[in-house]
Amino acid sequence: MRRCVPRLTVVAVAVVLGSPGLGGIAQAQHWPDAPVAFAGGRVLLAGDASATFGSEDPGWFTYTDYETDSLRRVRAGVTIEARPSRWLSFLAEIRAETRAGVVPYAWYVRVSPLENGVLDIQAGRIPPVFGTYARRNYPQDNPLIGDPLGYQYLTSARPDAVPANADQLLKMRGHGWLVQYPVGSSVAEPGVPMIAAGRWDTGVEVRAGKPGLEGALAYTVGTLSYPLVRDDNHGKQLAGRIVWRPVPAFAIGASAAQGAFISHDVLTARSDIPDGRYDQRAFGLDGEASWGRWLLRGELVANSWQLPPLDQPRITGPLGAVSGYLEAKVRMGPRFYAAARGDQLRFSTIQGTTGAQTWDANVARVEFGVGYRIRRGLLVKASMMNNWRDGGKVRQSRLAAIQALFWF
Amino acid sequence: MLRSAPFRHAAFAGGLFCVLLLAGRGHGIAGAEGTIRGLVDLRRTQVTAEARTASAAMGMPAHRPAELRPAVVYFDTAPRGAFELDESARATMDQLDETFVPHVLAITVGTTVDFPNRDLTFHNVFSLSKTKSFDLGRYSRGRSKSVRFERPGVVQVFCDIHSHMNAYILVFAHRYFAVTDPSGGYAITRVPPGSYTLAVWHEGEVRERRTVSLPDAGGTVEAGFVIR
Repeated sequence: MRRCVPRLTVVAVAVVLGSPGLGGIAQAQHWPDAPVAFAGGRVLLAGDASATFGSEDPGWFTYTDYETDSLRRVRAGVTIEARPSRWLSFLAEIRAETRAGVVPYAWYVRVSPLENGVLDIQAGRIPPVFGTYARRNYPQDNPLIGDPLGYQYLTSARPDAVPANADQLLKMRGHGWLVQYPVGSSVAEPGVPMIAAGRWDTGVEVRAGKPGLEGALAYTVGTLSYPLVRDDNHGKQLAGRIVWRPVPAFAIGASAAQGAFISHDVLTARSDIPDGRYDQRAFGLDGEASWGRWLLRGELVANSWQLPPLDQPRITGPLGAVSGYLEAKVRMGPRFYAAARGDQLRFSTIQGTTGAQTWDANVARVEFGVGYRIRRGLLVKASMMNNWRDGGKVRQSRLAAIQALFWF
Repeated sequence: MLRSAPFRHAAFAGGLFCVLLLAGRGHGIAGAEGTIRGLVDLRRTQVTAEARTASAAMGMPAHRPAELRPAVVYFDTAPRGAFELDESARATMDQLDETFVPHVLAITVGTTVDFPNRDLTFHNVFSLSKTKSFDLGRYSRGRSKSVRFERPGVVQVFCDIHSHMNAYILVFAHRYFAVTDPSGGYAITRVPPGSYTLAVWHEGEVRERRTVSLPDAGGTVEAGFVIR
């Protein structure tokens, strides 16, 4: 693993300080704090840039893949939306991120056929309908610097490689950052999080309802933990979500998803893999309450991956995982806020040769942080987090990070 | 749309400070009072206040048509006796359809502004301006909170929840100012005879300054501006 801190720091400073310079704006001593509109508001351009620098994470608690630490990265994104008419828009988001390069993050067409706006159809690489956090995966929407475990922590499950027996799976406990199994791809790769917040799926989504009660249904080629652009197993995912907001201060949502998880290459790797559905299934509840200067959010997600039962000792049932977090933010004036999040990720038990164990090591995280708003679209955050894990070489890790972000 | 920078706010406050210094000097109040009026042509400065476009949105955000936003015409130098202000004055800036109404509010020092929420959703009004920094927290429909403005200057107002909501409050140390009406017209009344520098402010910037003289006989002086 390479650590190029000086280069990262230089890039971070350049991105955050240089962002207002887009389009020559800095030369004019102006900072945009709203999207830039062209053609009478029919074309909109919005952007964000963030630079995060944190302490070294030897336990890989905060990694989003083998090389990307969410506490040490620079990210910039541009969103372009074209609205040729009131009922039609085309939207694309391009992101540049440390080590990931420049990637098209989202691209889809949005159709709103009814005058009253109670129905929207989105097709392309679309935002996930499940839960809430994946849709607020922008630095300014996250009061802290780390992500919830369910949306970031790399488990030892992989869609393109599976263990032949329970012992091989147990051997990878706490090793989600680099997993290797004998069936399917033989290359060591990171496992997947329960829900991938950093990548979106491809398909069609229909949203209906009013802000008080609305629902959405999506049909996509990947799954929550493994979103795709092209289908890899001839299976699709169906995901749905309903949100009830009885009063402005309170919202409660429920989500569910089921989709084919294991890739075709795994299913054809051995002739003795039984026919069946090897799905990811998830059910989630989320809530948000706010009053005065307080904002409270929480999510609970129960998830399972079904792997093919192969050799003894067999992995018979689905691999279960439950994650939940509670997050609070309090504003202490126009510039300052403080926030905290408590987080758990727990796994189900399987039977190996040496006894019963959770199939991956349970993890817990507590993060505290503060934010200082320099101006409308310029925020600096600092946070400290403690991670605990009951497996792997590093069982506990205390990390600190600072983040500067700019958006318009 | 580019908005005001801190140095422009400081310049505005500085200008108002100069008003205080100059008040006792060249401007007499011996003659008949008159009116300075005119038209500020804003036709080419339509603004669209769109919500921040985000790929994570589940549905189509409401389209907001382009609008003409008012300008404020004011005296850079005010006549003597201009500073007897009503310290108990009140004004209102509504939150309606995720918009601050009015978008520009011009008040005198000492005025208390009420911020009632008339929307079904929460709003969180705040400002980071040096003239007046405040945060009213989240509150729902039917509730109102207020802020008293005790220093002259420009205050840019935002909602912490809705990124497209913004407004300006211009706090003056005198009463010689006017906000343009929808057709761009303005009138500054009860002006003593003398020579004054008129400034036109629009969307965070002073766009033009011009010297205008009102004769001893009073009457009406026309002063038009074109903002491009």
